[in-house]
Amino acid sequence: MGEFLSQYGFLIVTMVQAGLLGLSLYFPLQAGQLSLASPGFYAVGGYVSAIMLTNPAFSGLRDSLGNGLFPLTWLAAALVCGVLGVIVGVPALRLRGIYLALATIAFVEILRVVSLNLDITGGAIGIFGIPQAFGFQDRWQYIWLFGPLLILTLLFARQLERSRVGRALRAIREDELAADAMGVPPTRYKVLAFVIGAVLAGIVGAMSAPFLNTWNAKQGTFDASIAILAFVLIGGSRNIWGPVVGGALLTAIPELLRFLADWRLVINGLVLVVASLYLPQGIVGALQRLRRTPPPQRPPSVAEVKGGTS
Amino acid sequence: MEASQLIQNLLNGLAIGSVYAIFALGYTLVFSILGIINFAHGAVFTLGAYFTYTLVVGQFENNGLLKGINLFPNGSPLSGNPWVFALATLVGAVIAGLIAVLIERLAFRPMRARGADPLLALVSSLGVALVIVNLIQLLVGAEIYNFPSDAYGQVQPALSFQVGEKVVIIRTVQVIIFAVSLVMLAVLGYVIGRTKVGKALRAVAENPGTASLLGISVDRFILITFFLSGFLGGLAGTLVGTAFGVAGPYFGVTYGLKGLAVIVLGGLGSIPGAVVGGLVIGLAEAFVPSQYSAYKDAVAFALLFVILLVRPQGLLGRAQIQKV
Amino acid sequence: MKRIALTVALGVLASAQAQKVQVPIPIGVALAQTSNTALLGQEQVIGARLAEKFINGRGGINGTPIKLVFQDAAGDENSAINAFQNLITKSAVVGIVGPTLSQQAFAADPIAERAKVPVLGPSNTAKGIPQIGQFIARVSAPVAVVAPNAVKQALKLDPKIKKVAVLYAQNDAFSTSETGTFQETAKAQGLDVVTVQKFQTTDTDFTTQVTSVLNSGADLVIVSGLAADGGNLVKQLRQLGYKGLIIGGNGLNTSNIFPVCQKYCDGVIIAQAYSPAQPSAANQLFVKEYRAQYKKDPPQFAAQAYAGVQVMVDALRAIDRRKKLSQWDLDDLRVELNKQILAGKYNTPLGELRFDKDGEIIQKEFYVAQIKMKDAKNGSFVYLK
Repeated sequence: MGEFLSQYGFLIVTMVQAGLLGLSLYFPLQAGQLSLASPGFYAVGGYVSAIMLTNPAFSGLRDSLGNGLFPLTWLAAALVCGVLGVIVGVPALRLRGIYLALATIAFVEILRVVSLNLDITGGAIGIFGIPQAFGFQDRWQYIWLFGPLLILTLLFARQLERSRVGRALRAIREDELAADAMGVPPTRYKVLAFVIGAVLAGIVGAMSAPFLNTWNAKQGTFDASIAILAFVLIGGSRNIWGPVVGGALLTAIPELLRFLADWRLVINGLVLVVASLYLPQGIVGALQRLRRTPPPQRPPSVAEVKGGTS
Repeated sequence: MEASQLIQNLLNGLAIGSVYAIFALGYTLVFSILGIINFAHGAVFTLGAYFTYTLVVGQFENNGLLKGINLFPNGSPLSGNPWVFALATLVGAVIAGLIAVLIERLAFRPMRARGADPLLALVSSLGVALVIVNLIQLLVGAEIYNFPSDAYGQVQPALSFQVGEKVVIIRTVQVIIFAVSLVMLAVLGYVIGRTKVGKALRAVAENPGTASLLGISVDRFILITFFLSGFLGGLAGTLVGTAFGVAGPYFGVTYGLKGLAVIVLGGLGSIPGAVVGGLVIGLAEAFVPSQYSAYKDAVAFALLFVILLVRPQGLLGRAQIQKV
Repeated sequence: MKRIALTVALGVLASAQAQKVQVPIPIGVALAQTSNTALLGQEQVIGARLAEKFINGRGGINGTPIKLVFQDAAGDENSAINAFQNLITKSAVVGIVGPTLSQQAFAADPIAERAKVPVLGPSNTAKGIPQIGQFIARVSAPVAVVAPNAVKQALKLDPKIKKVAVLYAQNDAFSTSETGTFQETAKAQGLDVVTVQKFQTTDTDFTTQVTSVLNSGADLVIVSGLAADGGNLVKQLRQLGYKGLIIGGNGLNTSNIFPVCQKYCDGVIIAQAYSPAQPSAANQLFVKEYRAQYKKDPPQFAAQAYAGVQVMVDALRAIDRRKKLSQWDLDDLRVELNKQILAGKYNTPLGELRFDKDGEIIQKEFYVAQIKMKDAKNGSFVYLK
């Protein structure tokens, strides 16, 4: 067991972490909003926690709080990302579909350039020597942070779906104009969903900075945006388990393919192509279909509207 | 700003911008027909450069499965002859176009046939890009390859002229790229605006359903679009490679991100928009004062963000009708 | 009776826990074999492979062969950590050479530190790497010591130099620390830094930066970057008419820049942590082997990776003389190997080197070379006295 944990513990935690990032994209998607801003908030959350945990300005706070500082970093990251989410979300969420996606990519990229240029973020080298949370000895122990966060997030997502807010979000996704006419203010709910995603990504970032020991501008990039989108789409975008399954699998595959040596990333690319061709509803969607016979017939136009590229 | 400085910045901006523009042409073409962003475009761009390199030089160095291969043991017969280089460039571009067609057949068409979420095309094309980039790495390694310096014949490295007391200079290669991108735009504009094929393409872009009712084979025109996109991408790859070297398998991929900014700024799916967007971003970057040069890369995305908020259809795009 | 059985059972358990050292001796190599860091990583892989071949060809460690276990660490932190975990647990390596980037080292080295596995960084030059822990050392000299010599050499070649333009790759950890040293040195030498320009390693077009340099009237240009961007910058400087001296930082110390700047590379002064001209027998053997196989001079990254493997093997050899490696418990050997690495003195292609108590390299010689191009593609680094 010890052997297994020390070899695969880190990977397992990153699988959970990927699932959480997938969920952070899933919340706005519930309201039909394709936002790729998660890596940006993830990076900001990480910087907030890395700065609080290493910057001399916070040394007094560190001494007096001890391990209590770690939850405080999560809170601070959540707060910063929440506020940033509102600032970015209010103007950006007037856009739809691919346009919103591109605007959020721009946001991520601007953040990256800014963090390369600031002294407080450590420039290109970034911040290093970040202390381990709660004196953890091994990286797999971070499962005690990411695991409960995942469970809480899933519970929250379930509650949200069943609540009035969840119904409002779905109404907006299916037909924004109609929802508006029925008295559901779309902008407020869209920003709400976006901010929930931002806060989640920020907390994940804040937990990840000690987990990686170091934080730099490469943590929030365009590549990560697309990777997280892949988690959600390959996992299934219609079910809360989709992003979790997708994130876990797509993170694990390149690692499990290590025995292929030079070919592993070629095969990883093929997996992405094949999965998007043969699992159009995502893995979870396909499993649901298998369970339910006969499969529910959906008119093809539904798929098109849901993507919202138009 | 002095006149010479102004002109220098203008030239610099046009030089950089035309590189962005020729990358973005093929990118936006696919969007105009299918409404998808093809992340594999950067990889096809890279492939074009590698194909031309193989035809012209035919030698790969220390790494990869093709290590030590030598197509022309007695020195390249093509070296130094700009016409032969041009021919190799065209052949390289045609092969890149065929690869793009193959990508469409294997990675996009099955998805369309199933009526899958068009967003999945992003993931699928990302997968294709991963495959191509890592195959290049596997075959020829990550080394930097470069075309012979006399690929365009014996030309001066730079052109300079006097403005007032100061001298304004520009690299000859970039003048060539600028000229070629204008020619490409003109030819593309002619094909799409004036020919029968172009009319059909526009019909498919407008409304695939109606087009197929009119007897246009939609799949065939999507193939033609991909061929054109790959051809333009491959051609651009070689051109940019002559200016900057073919800097490894990720050579084209790095343009993919800025290319997004370019095509959005110009208007998604608008062909003149890609050129205008490229030039605008190039100029904006060139006019960033040098003490803020560190923020140069943010300029394109700040522009992208602003234009989306003010005019989501981009500079030259048509307003989208809200489908309800 | 029961107690004896228990003791036996515990003993069996304990011996199952204490892993023996495998033969051939596995040494881990975690470098960037993919991603856009692979340009550096593949040179390192070549260097490590040459070391393995050479060492085993000469009887390995007193007769016991070594086996390098490669795990791709790509260019990101997660891959580096996963590669380290695989090497430590699955491949039971005695030590690790890697990773390629300093940022990756900050993430992955603590894993090895925790598992008490010695690590030698072949190219991690940022401040603070050896301080990550007792088990972390590097064979790559920090930038602060490499850069100043080059400025002095440039002043020797052209004493009239007054104004300096400095350019650096802002997204590269190595280049950003190197440029600091360059700028301090330039000021200390009484030079006037007239412009500082930033770029990205992924940039290709430097027209704007070059025009600023030309406008500043600089008579010395110092470039800190990597092969592709640095090479393009040199080429564009020359094409647009810059005539003065150019100093390239340590990141440009690779023949990979030749195909980029071609004939324009000629005359660039390079700060080197490794030179093929280094006269020691160890280096000349390495250079001969490398030339025989690749028809060109070995690059610095290959030499450093080679040195990393060699240091591990030399240290293992010393341990083996005291007690055969195959008789060691793996955990004990790793601790002992770390001690031995820090204690020893090594004749590597980098010249003679040893380590201070932190694991920081103490390298005797640094070099300054000037590029001489034979034709458009081939050139060499000519050692400047």
